[in-house]
Amino acid sequence: MTETLHNLVLGFSVALSPPILLYAFVGCVVGTLVGVLPGVGPLAGISLLLPATFGLDATRAIVMLAGIYYGAMYGGSTTSILMRIPGEAASVMTCIDGYAMARKGRAGAALAIAAVGSYVAGTVSVVALMLLAPPLASFALRFGPPEYFALLVLGLLVLAYMSSGSMLRALAMATLGLLLGMIGIDQMTGYFRYSYGVVELGDGIGVVPVAVGLFGLAEILATAGLPAPPPVLRPTLRELLPTRQEWRDAAWPIGRGTVLGFLIGIVPGSAHIIASFVSYALERKLSKRPEEFGQGAVAGVAGPESANNSATSGAFVPMLALGVPSGPIPAVMLAAMMVHGVSPGPLLIKQQPELFWGFIASMYVGNVVLLILNLPLVGVFVNILRVPYPILYPSILAFCILGVYAVNGSVVDVWIMLLMGAFGYLLRKLGFETAPIVLGVVLAPMIEMALRQSLAMSDGQYAIFLERPISATLLGVGLVLITLGLKPLVTRSLDWRARLALAEKGDEHR
Amino acid sequence: MKLSRAFWLVSLMGLAAVATVGAQEPYPSRPVTIVAPFPPGGVADLTARPVAAAMEKVLKNPVGVVNKTGAAGAVGMQFVATSKPDGYTLLLALSSISIIPEADKLFGRPPAFTVDQFAPIALISADPTILVVPADKPWKTAADFIADARKRPGQISYSSSGVYGTLHMAMELLSHAASIKLRHVPYAGAGPALTAILGGHVDALASGPAVVLPHIKAGKLRALAGWGDKRVAALPEVPTFKELGFTDAEFYIWAGVFAPRGTPEPVLAKLRETLRVAVADSDFKSAMDKLETPIVFKQGAEFAAFFQADAGRLAEGVRKVGRIEAK
Repeated sequence: MTETLHNLVLGFSVALSPPILLYAFVGCVVGTLVGVLPGVGPLAGISLLLPATFGLDATRAIVMLAGIYYGAMYGGSTTSILMRIPGEAASVMTCIDGYAMARKGRAGAALAIAAVGSYVAGTVSVVALMLLAPPLASFALRFGPPEYFALLVLGLLVLAYMSSGSMLRALAMATLGLLLGMIGIDQMTGYFRYSYGVVELGDGIGVVPVAVGLFGLAEILATAGLPAPPPVLRPTLRELLPTRQEWRDAAWPIGRGTVLGFLIGIVPGSAHIIASFVSYALERKLSKRPEEFGQGAVAGVAGPESANNSATSGAFVPMLALGVPSGPIPAVMLAAMMVHGVSPGPLLIKQQPELFWGFIASMYVGNVVLLILNLPLVGVFVNILRVPYPILYPSILAFCILGVYAVNGSVVDVWIMLLMGAFGYLLRKLGFETAPIVLGVVLAPMIEMALRQSLAMSDGQYAIFLERPISATLLGVGLVLITLGLKPLVTRSLDWRARLALAEKGDEHR
Repeated sequence: MKLSRAFWLVSLMGLAAVATVGAQEPYPSRPVTIVAPFPPGGVADLTARPVAAAMEKVLKNPVGVVNKTGAAGAVGMQFVATSKPDGYTLLLALSSISIIPEADKLFGRPPAFTVDQFAPIALISADPTILVVPADKPWKTAADFIADARKRPGQISYSSSGVYGTLHMAMELLSHAASIKLRHVPYAGAGPALTAILGGHVDALASGPAVVLPHIKAGKLRALAGWGDKRVAALPEVPTFKELGFTDAEFYIWAGVFAPRGTPEPVLAKLRETLRVAVADSDFKSAMDKLETPIVFKQGAEFAAFFQADAGRLAEGVRKVGRIEAK
């Protein structure tokens, strides 16, 4: 413990030195911008800016890249809440209740809760990263394909809690999403599936163009179709801050989101995206008023936003402790270290204490910087809503196209986004929810890959899922969840979903 | 009258300008772009950037790197294959350039591009893959490994960067040279493949030396043998498969610069010369040193011969793997 403290002092002496502080600050600002720009998420931001760090020394480069990473996670919530455009894939869930809060005039409150939740999650998870990294990292590596598959199956069950309307419609949309996720090169055999000769479709349909199209564009189209434009919101200063009740509603979701996000974040792979989905479902399940979700529930913003931020730190655990490229973003950061002649590996903490502890300390500092940066900006960002729609919406459209194009420089992505926008509009008119499609697109390639890798490992024996303790446990939890879900069928009691349906019917009769 | 004289003057100047452009504009007179068909942080990108910086010094002309990614590199390679052959769009390709068209052929689909669409300029680096196993596995030597694999065909598993990817091909070449059968578990990229062996989910991996060295030093992985024609400098005690008698197990992850076919010969000559000087640049050397990637420079006929031999081996490898049918 004293050693850790001693090391932390060393870390802060590195992190608070003016040049490092400057790079952390620049990273946070750039990250926030990257997050705010629709479509451009942390991976795209880090990749685009990686070459710019080649001239710096290793510690500065890593501190700046990390700043971009968690800055983008903060920034992603802004456009989700204000305009229903996910800044990156992990803030899809924030779109639902965050935007609903904004429509009710609580945009400032939603932004403030997202910022504070992100801050708490960021800071707490850095403490966890510092104290638990080495033992947790070895545990994280035990997540192979079978464990990953079991985890993703749990993620699929989450679908059932995502929509507020009919279960049948939600499952239909999820199936559609899973089917869309099948497009692309079959990772196990090399076949091109449903690509129709378009080489770009080989990588499948990206989550970002789908999410921006289904949420952002569809919203713009729907507004354009209204007989009269919705009233322009003019938030006053007092409305910017969350009320006491809103803070109370946010407290527990922030705590749960932090723990959940960190645990999911350490698993190698792209699991951090599902952290926010799982958190949303968990909050809905635990809530006393699940019917408020989708209509602007505070917990629906606080939970997922905290979860996606602490997943960020979680993802660093295997990278820093073992030098393992545990996901796309850690892989880019490891490459940045190699460019600077730091060979990332299990000996990194011992060989490069300044880098490791400087990095940890800079994450504390960066989270404070982001909070200071973001809370006052709430007032600025909210004013975007004052812009009249004829000016606001075309600009948003332009930014969406720009952002989606910037990620891969691919016009095909722009077309996917536009088609999804039109499709999302249609679905909205027909009363379907689109969030399950996005989750399907996220999960399908991951589940398929994990399942087939597991079977390749076991030479086709399904027993592999039960022989391995972690995957067996996870699947057991899934089974319990399904059983609990079936209970109302047996006992004939009405759950919230049925009550909601009855209430809707009542409305219609009136 | 005045006006018409001015008109003639301007037209003449314009004509003169067009004439010089048409005749011979000295190459290069505008920025050159190197396309890296993989995302930033990958081998292609990390090689392309110091190459571009060193070329810039020699050409005294801006040289930029653009990542055009997708479909395991096919998107960027196709882009350069169909670019204007004027020497302003170049490609930094890896070994996979000869695998992709071969795999397309195997599935009978229209190829994204063919190898003939490129004019090879120079080889920059060639890194032999090495065979690593988790340190807690019983095999101490490559001979142990191969003997055990013969005893238990299809039981020893390995991870790779993806089906028909470079790391998959290396293992396939070994399997054929040693007549063994291993179990293939493909991952989406070299990073996840490394994570898989470190987590103990597979038994072996063919990998570039640089990324596994720290894990070998830390005692997590053991290197058994290499695919090069000489031993890896950082691992002098690890033999090559050639030394062990498996002469066909030769494989390199290499990086080379290509131009679209039809680029004029004077431009190609200028680029070859530029790269020859560029690889001797001290900044370039130190950048490659940090990546622990050996510079292997070949140009002209020598590179063409290397490229052809390598492409032949890989095409053979792809054909031997054949189509993977679902079980």
